[in-house]
Amino acid sequence: MVELARKLPLPQRRFPASPVLLLLAAACIFLTVESLRSTIFAQLTVAGVATGVVYGSLALALVLIYRATEVINFAQGEMAMAMVYVAYQLTLWGLAYWEAFFLTLAIAFVFGVVTQRVFIRPVQGRSVIAVVIVTVGLFILIDGLVEWKWSANQRFMQAPFGNKIYHLGNVPIARQDLGTIVITLISVSALWAFFRFTKLGLGMRAGALRPAAARLVGVRTNALLAVGWGLAAVLGAVAGLMTEPAEYVLQPTLMQPVLLYAFAAAVLGGLESPGGALVGGIALGIFLNLLPSHSWGFVTSALELPVAFAALLVVLLIKPTGLFGHRTVRKV
Amino acid sequence: MRRKGRFMAVLAGLALFASVAATAAFGAHRATPGVTSTTITIGGTFPLTGVASLYKTIPAAEGAYFAYVNAHGGVNGRTINFKVLDDAYDPSKTVPLTQQLVEQDGIFADFGSLGTAPNLSIWSYLNQHKVPQVLIATGDSYWGFSAKKYPWTIGYQPDYPGEGKVYGKYIAANMPNAKIGVLYQNDAFGKNYFAGLRVGLGAKKSQIVSSQSYDPTQTSLVQQILALKAAGADTFAIFALPSQAITALVTATKVGWTPTTFLGNVSADPVFMKIAAQNGANVDGVISTSYLVDPTLASQANLPGVALAKSIISTYAPPLLPSLNAADANVVYGLGAAWTFVYALKKAGKNPTRAGLMKALKSMKNVKDPFLYPGITMNTSAKDNFPTEQEILVKWAGGATGDWAAFGKLYNNVR
Amino acid sequence: MRRNAPALVAVAVAALFFALLPFGLSDYHRGLAASVAVYLIAILGLNVLTGYTGQISIGHGAFMAIGGYTTAIMSHYHNTNLILTLPLAFVITFGCGVLVGLPALRLSGVYLALATFALAVSIPQLPLKFSKFTGGSAGISASKSVSNSWLYGVSWSTAAIAFLFTWLVLRGRTGRAFRAIRDSEVAATSSGVTLAIYKTLAFGVSAALAGVAGSLFVLATNGFAQPNEFSVTLSLKILVGAAVAGLGSLWGVLLGAAFIALLPTLSASAPLIGSAHGQDVVFGLFVIVVMILLPTGVAGLIPRLRRLRVKA
Repeated sequence: MVELARKLPLPQRRFPASPVLLLLAAACIFLTVESLRSTIFAQLTVAGVATGVVYGSLALALVLIYRATEVINFAQGEMAMAMVYVAYQLTLWGLAYWEAFFLTLAIAFVFGVVTQRVFIRPVQGRSVIAVVIVTVGLFILIDGLVEWKWSANQRFMQAPFGNKIYHLGNVPIARQDLGTIVITLISVSALWAFFRFTKLGLGMRAGALRPAAARLVGVRTNALLAVGWGLAAVLGAVAGLMTEPAEYVLQPTLMQPVLLYAFAAAVLGGLESPGGALVGGIALGIFLNLLPSHSWGFVTSALELPVAFAALLVVLLIKPTGLFGHRTVRKV
Repeated sequence: MRRKGRFMAVLAGLALFASVAATAAFGAHRATPGVTSTTITIGGTFPLTGVASLYKTIPAAEGAYFAYVNAHGGVNGRTINFKVLDDAYDPSKTVPLTQQLVEQDGIFADFGSLGTAPNLSIWSYLNQHKVPQVLIATGDSYWGFSAKKYPWTIGYQPDYPGEGKVYGKYIAANMPNAKIGVLYQNDAFGKNYFAGLRVGLGAKKSQIVSSQSYDPTQTSLVQQILALKAAGADTFAIFALPSQAITALVTATKVGWTPTTFLGNVSADPVFMKIAAQNGANVDGVISTSYLVDPTLASQANLPGVALAKSIISTYAPPLLPSLNAADANVVYGLGAAWTFVYALKKAGKNPTRAGLMKALKSMKNVKDPFLYPGITMNTSAKDNFPTEQEILVKWAGGATGDWAAFGKLYNNVR
Repeated sequence: MRRNAPALVAVAVAALFFALLPFGLSDYHRGLAASVAVYLIAILGLNVLTGYTGQISIGHGAFMAIGGYTTAIMSHYHNTNLILTLPLAFVITFGCGVLVGLPALRLSGVYLALATFALAVSIPQLPLKFSKFTGGSAGISASKSVSNSWLYGVSWSTAAIAFLFTWLVLRGRTGRAFRAIRDSEVAATSSGVTLAIYKTLAFGVSAALAGVAGSLFVLATNGFAQPNEFSVTLSLKILVGAAVAGLGSLWGVLLGAAFIALLPTLSASAPLIGSAHGQDVVFGLFVIVVMILLPTGVAGLIPRLRRLRVKA
């Protein structure tokens, strides 16, 4: 059956519009030049990339689910936060950090699959509003359960990369930031390889793009949707586990700001585009880190969220499908 | 015709509502609410859940102190019944919960309620209803300054501007060439601290080379810290809430900045210092202030307040023991506030009234609360509504397993 | 005309009930009952947009914040009569709603959900930036506070007016246009509905009702407006209330409002779920179960039961 799925017409790889590419290239050149000129600028940029990849990987989780089911999972951040608490509990029980890390990813997969089967599937195919409301319900539910089990106290969790600082010329770079970037990129590439080279992954792409046709050739789309939720939960867990050491404390609100920026990143890149989500996340991370020192004092810290979202609204208005998305014709 | 009838029906309904609003009767005032021949009922709102839930050990310790007093015969034969409600630090919850305490539970006084914004939201309500709002857990200076307009409200701890002043005085006297960088929360809390620092520095305030603000939703402080470092600051004042204070300490170390650091008391709980240290921050030598005894320090083991704290917590609130042993200052804080309330209640006489309680709280002369740092006394008058006005500087040593140690002299009249 | 008779009787009975209710309540319970009316108005607003026009909003807490701050600021600086601030909040948030509605013309479905969510998160940040004027995180207080009886009378009168207003809007041409947009935008356009006008109108009306609710919400908080009160949770709560009520039903709104206003208080003394996180668990589970089992909300049960009875 999967062989058949491989033959399904998948859309050709499309390159984003050239103005967007030019813009990105210009931005990269600007960042490099400024970084060479100023140590502070370089430091801010590196830190921005580290937070940006985390936004990007949660954004990717959102995109994964959006591509498969055309809904946004508002509980994605809280699911990730719950998984960080699971990892925390595992380390308390004596597991080493990386043992806990990989065990948590496995648990996250099961958690995602179960969530889809129990909560999402019954409302699947009803209106977007119904699914969104269920994910909002999940948001509140998970929050309550986590506080119930672990309380809202700030907690400390073992850091994965230690506190070493490297120096690249004059620029100090934390090992923590490098580790975050590497781990996130590894998980993203693993996901990409999964979709590109495995039968299951191809089946999922087919199921997402041509559900009816895929079903005809024997792809079990429902089962694949659950797997999609599982993978999204794994990506979210990676994002959560990389956010915790950057925040230094574990508390139930851990992922709420990250979720907001991930939303912005996903929309910026176009909800359809995985690559766009990652690029969007990194761009947002750098942008927000550089903004306050380069806005002539207007954008103080209180304005970061509103500015991020104003930018998002502008992108939506100029190019409603995001920087990397393409238009679809609306059916009657 | 029908349509008109419908309209009239609606009008009649509205008229009824209006009459309700106009004629609703208020319950007559009883002699002293919350006081019976055997009990006194008080209550307060606290963040037992949510962002500020770390403070929930305060009402727990207060409850333990009242249990101790009750077990020893109560106050003038009356036991204290302390109701604790959870507002999760959200004023829109504080208001109905406080109404519940006042109107349903009939409390004698609102005691110890936590947080500046939650207390502001019930400030006028409690004063209109002449309900004492006493020994509230917030270091803002409104409560002391506005005694004329709000005579039923009084705080407990030293206020933020006063504390900022202590750092200013210390720097001016001991670090004449300091270049100061300030990180503060972008609101009244952070700005009041900052203002106090400038007052304390006096003529030396020109040595503040840079000040950076942040917003409570912010997760990264890299840019602020880098800006302070770039301005050449060698002295770092942090006026932040705990999460951001931890982030600031760690980030400073990570960007390779090693200033002399002053940390606002609000975030100086050893719990936070240890988290920061475990994340790699260099916390040794950080300076803060204290006004409470510290039961974990060998040097203070013989103080009567320390022995009392240990015996009360282990008898009446064993679950709090780990917090006490981890030097959680909130436990001692709760005991101290409850001690002061009981002291005032005794002063208010055999048949306490609300006015009597306020009078007792506003006429303290050299009162020695055993849970305050030795030498600190509480003084209030009709004009002076700040109970605690002395502080001692403390310095951290010992990294992730360390603790604060007091040094130098008591700073008087920090207000 | 005749078929309206039962509804008319229901309205009269409800009016009488709510008019007499405060006499049987303690002052504290009057405050609680008033908060039901406040949420009722907000949910009514969301229902016009989401239930009747099919435009999702996760950001109605933002409009409540604008309305609430309007009341607090006008009263604080200009000592404006508190009742007068309600229509003022209506007008201002109507304007804001139309402004938000304009970009919403180009957004639909999840994009709109995200954009309104962004609004819910961003708006409460603005008072922190402009803290000189808005009091920042220390909040801002109206120049006077009101009694619970006043609050009860004004909230329920306003709720009655809002209900009547919504009913009038929805039963006529406008309501038909709204529903046509919900069912199919393309079909609505081809049958002569100008999307731009009706979509922005729905946003305006919806936001205006939320704004009035926000004013009353602040008055119920002793006239004290502070960013914490308008966190994302408030927006989510209203959405939960609307979902429980049944999107597209006017009568369910009362149930939805009672659910979100009273659950925290009623369950406060219950074991296990009494704590705030216990309530979160109940809120979350309840809304999920309702969405899965009762797609038309609790209000949808009534016609269903009626149908069952007819069959029997």
